[in-house]
Amino acid sequence: MLISIDWLKDYVDIDCTIEVLSDKLVSAGFEVEDVIRQADSCKKVVVGRIDNLEPHPDADKLQICTINIGTENVQIVTGANNISIGDLVPTALDGSDLPSGMHIKKGKLRGVASHGMLCSGGELNLTEEDFKNAGVDGIMILEGDSAPGTDINIVIGNDDVILDVGVTANRPDCNSVFGIAREVATVLNKPLIMPSFDYDTIPFNINDNVKVNVENEQFCPRYMASMVKNIVIKDSPLYIQRRLKAVGLRPINNIVDITNYVLIEIGQPMHAFDYKLIGGNEINVRSAKNGETITLLDNKEYTLDDTMCVISDSDSPSAIAGVMGGAGSSISSNTTDIVFESARFARDSIRRTSRKINVRTDSSTRFERGIDFASQELGMNRALQLIASTGSGDVCEGVIDVVSASLEPKVVVVPYKKINDILGIIVPTDDMVRILNSLQIMTVVDGENLVCTSPLYREDIENANDLAEEIIRLYGYDYITCALIDNGKQTIGGKSVGLMNIDNVKALLVGEGMNETYSYSFISPKMFDMLQLPSDDKLRDVVTLLNPLGEDMSIMRTTLSHSMIEMLAKNINRGNRSARLFEFASVYQPKSLPLTEQPIETQKLTLGIIGEGEDFYSIKGIIENIIGYYGVTATYSRPNTSYLHPGISADVVVDGDIVATFGEVRPDIAKNYDIKTKVFIAELNIDMLNDKYDNSYTFKAIPKFPTVSRDLAVVVEEKISAEQLLSVATKYAGKLLSNIEIFDIYRGKGIEKGFKSVAISLEFTSIDKTLTDDEISTKTNKIIKMLDKELQAKLR
Amino acid sequence: MENRIKTITSSAQSLIASANSLESINDVRVKFLGKNGELTAVLKSMRDVPVEQKPMIGKFVNEARDSITAMIEEKITFLTADAINTKLQSESIDITLSTKKTKKGGLHPCSLVVNEILNIFTSLGFQVKQGPEVETDFYNFQALNIPLDHPAREMQDTFYINDELLLRTHTSPVQARTMMNTQPPIRIVNPGKVYRPDDDATHSPMFQQIEGLVVDKNITMCDLKGILETFAKTLFNEKTKTRLRPSFFPFTEPSVEIDVTCAVCGGKGCRICKGTGWIEILGAGIVNPKVLDNCGIDSSIYSGFAFGCGIERITMIKYGVPDMRILFDNDVRFLKQFN
Repeated sequence: MLISIDWLKDYVDIDCTIEVLSDKLVSAGFEVEDVIRQADSCKKVVVGRIDNLEPHPDADKLQICTINIGTENVQIVTGANNISIGDLVPTALDGSDLPSGMHIKKGKLRGVASHGMLCSGGELNLTEEDFKNAGVDGIMILEGDSAPGTDINIVIGNDDVILDVGVTANRPDCNSVFGIAREVATVLNKPLIMPSFDYDTIPFNINDNVKVNVENEQFCPRYMASMVKNIVIKDSPLYIQRRLKAVGLRPINNIVDITNYVLIEIGQPMHAFDYKLIGGNEINVRSAKNGETITLLDNKEYTLDDTMCVISDSDSPSAIAGVMGGAGSSISSNTTDIVFESARFARDSIRRTSRKINVRTDSSTRFERGIDFASQELGMNRALQLIASTGSGDVCEGVIDVVSASLEPKVVVVPYKKINDILGIIVPTDDMVRILNSLQIMTVVDGENLVCTSPLYREDIENANDLAEEIIRLYGYDYITCALIDNGKQTIGGKSVGLMNIDNVKALLVGEGMNETYSYSFISPKMFDMLQLPSDDKLRDVVTLLNPLGEDMSIMRTTLSHSMIEMLAKNINRGNRSARLFEFASVYQPKSLPLTEQPIETQKLTLGIIGEGEDFYSIKGIIENIIGYYGVTATYSRPNTSYLHPGISADVVVDGDIVATFGEVRPDIAKNYDIKTKVFIAELNIDMLNDKYDNSYTFKAIPKFPTVSRDLAVVVEEKISAEQLLSVATKYAGKLLSNIEIFDIYRGKGIEKGFKSVAISLEFTSIDKTLTDDEISTKTNKIIKMLDKELQAKLR
Repeated sequence: MENRIKTITSSAQSLIASANSLESINDVRVKFLGKNGELTAVLKSMRDVPVEQKPMIGKFVNEARDSITAMIEEKITFLTADAINTKLQSESIDITLSTKKTKKGGLHPCSLVVNEILNIFTSLGFQVKQGPEVETDFYNFQALNIPLDHPAREMQDTFYINDELLLRTHTSPVQARTMMNTQPPIRIVNPGKVYRPDDDATHSPMFQQIEGLVVDKNITMCDLKGILETFAKTLFNEKTKTRLRPSFFPFTEPSVEIDVTCAVCGGKGCRICKGTGWIEILGAGIVNPKVLDNCGIDSSIYSGFAFGCGIERITMIKYGVPDMRILFDNDVRFLKQFN
């Protein structure tokens, strides 16, 4: 919230620097996000008195002026002709900055030195409405008797300082100049100045002329109305305009400006109805009827329902309460009499209505934050006083005040020990009482208790914690000492096995040269087609956001593959030719659609590899290591995955469950991502692997007898897989087989096309004897025979 | 005789010294100790030595033979080692060359920060707990004292899925879920992804938070300050100081923002801390008794504190990353800087 220091000074005497004030506000819980010094826009411009004028020797239209700027005289050449000796003029000196963005330096005009510039109103960003003579063609002649050398900002009223103060959601009472003034008075230990809000009235009583009827008391616990007759619509006085502009509001006319002024100053939204346009002279605060319509001040028609509240006259709504007035009852140039509304509307209801019809106004925003019960009367008085003091109309007698809520202050009784228990330090009771009283939370000690009576505007004070906060923020957080849960029970910290597995797998992946990525959980629905997912694919059942930042971030991903291919594509596009990436993230699978409960979130791991020399086996090797880490045995089978190369991809199956799928991305799919090179990706179900995790190591005796190895090479058709060969060999090798692996595949010279030579190494170990050559030969011969019989593999 | 032995010994000594290969040392051995060697000849001539001199001369010859043998062996040992060294020297390779195909990869910088933070808190007895990212309005807001249509909801713009479901805006729902399922003592930290519709240099629509919660008897503001100051000192350095500033969060009361002295300038004021010397890194507070009661924990017996911080923000401060979007860009040239 923007707070003008000039305005603030109406309520509290500020005799410290802005820096000190800012620091004190910050320590009291009001973050000062910015300090705007108006004078920064206009530097080194002073009041100058024209002491002498003479014509330029070489230019008819130029004059040479001697300007008295208090401490010295400067010579300035000007082309203006509305000036004369003795005039006071805004003088921009050498090195000055003007609000228009101009920077003035000394120079020569037709050979004569000029040490600055005399300014027009426009050059100071002023119009005639802002300042007298600002609108004239030529230099802005200053009226009055400012001393030469005076900073021009002081003369034109451009010397205010504006604080941008952050007000937290628990302190709606501070969303106003007056509210901040109360806090400033407390932190500076100064009295709060209450200006007089008195005004004279004419003998025309609102109670005899307007009837207010609040039907929905829960929505509107207080409604005040007053009347002003014979209004004169005109411009507001300069100080009102200046203050409104200082906080970013555009002055419109006296009536609108007064409602805005009260909104900023007191925090109370006001509304003005044209008295003559209130049908039946009735103001009804009621729920809207379903289907009822109203045209608001924005000239748009809105259809209402019974969750919304309106202000209506005898026949139709004249405003959506707290949000915006209706076009039908608004102030116009024909208006002579007005009715002011100063009410409290329920913030949750305003919030819902404002969102439903998508209309947000200063008024609705303020009501949403919460308006206290003290503001209606204060705001009304201030508005009427401003009407009277600016000659804007005749204030009528009487005020209508319909109150259904209790306006009794709330009393909270709390043992003062409880405050110290929360804070962990001992704050002297006297200090507690002093601080609370300085906040107008009237406090007395009754035995062991503090009895605290909060002012109406402090609706946030409900319990000991609230009071503890009020006390410590003013007593000082620096008094809080450090402890380490010294009085707490011992707890055992740490991570679950699943989380430790993830850490360990990450370490393994880093060792494999992989880099971890983070990509967004929401992706584009375009991924369905980019991955050519079949129309009935479960991955197409997605959680969709109601309010995404854009279509490309509108669905929660059901697979990590799309994100991984995109990341690889981005890297390729940037000239990064090789990359090994991985990411752990959740995928979100709805249990049913439309969504009725939380989706299933499954932790997955995706791998992605590009680069020269990378192939299917690069990624398979990594997956084998992960599977090895989890202590499970996997088999590999061909998957049915729309976006993977059908011949260069695999499902990893553990105990009948597919725990991972990996392989080369189909080239036609890669093209959808503008990738022309080979891309290898994998997606592993980490939750499933965590469930299967087995680290139960048991000691086995180390064999005392030597291991015997045999290598054999067989030639088989290409279609015979390694797994087929190994399983046949294993089947007939018997119990003594301790290890079997394929260590070479050869194709080429000596091997018929369509065939390959596969070299298998076998190891046999016995725990109770030394194996003889005969025994081993019998085994290997059997293996060779069966490989031939079952797979037509010929010994090479 | 005696002189002859002396001459043989000294001649052997000089030949051994000049021998520079295993062959030449072998020649020396044959020349003196071989079947027809010079010293062997002396031994053979012993029978001509008078009896009374035999013990003396015999001792003399034996000493000479032992000494020559020892010298030859020493030389052989030396020459053998020398030969191996020469061979190894000739095999020397370019050790500055690096041809290993797979170099070490690395964790994302945010993970480095998460790991560091989790290590600090797990060693302080905090258990790591996680929860769903698609949350219900109840756990994300209502259980945490943020009712429907409450202005505090403005503090956290939200991605909605429907009236009931949303993407969690903070990891606090994990705290609510934990409190509803566990009785104190509770000491947990909750790392995880959270979502808010903001996207600029200092905000990302998805980011990570770590929040923590302690609930036990007699927990005070001093415990909050002590634990979090320990955290800040461990994360940055021992000189780091903390400052508490009043703030507001619906689920804590009193609520504070925690500033730490700028790790870059040490508190003198610099560009990173915008000249203030302080950097805001944590929000924290005493758990609002209403939240404890909402979650089934008796607030008249137990109290607690909670805190939270943004991982990306700390990562940016710690590693000097100027724009949050770089963290989600996944360019390997960035990622490899943390290998």
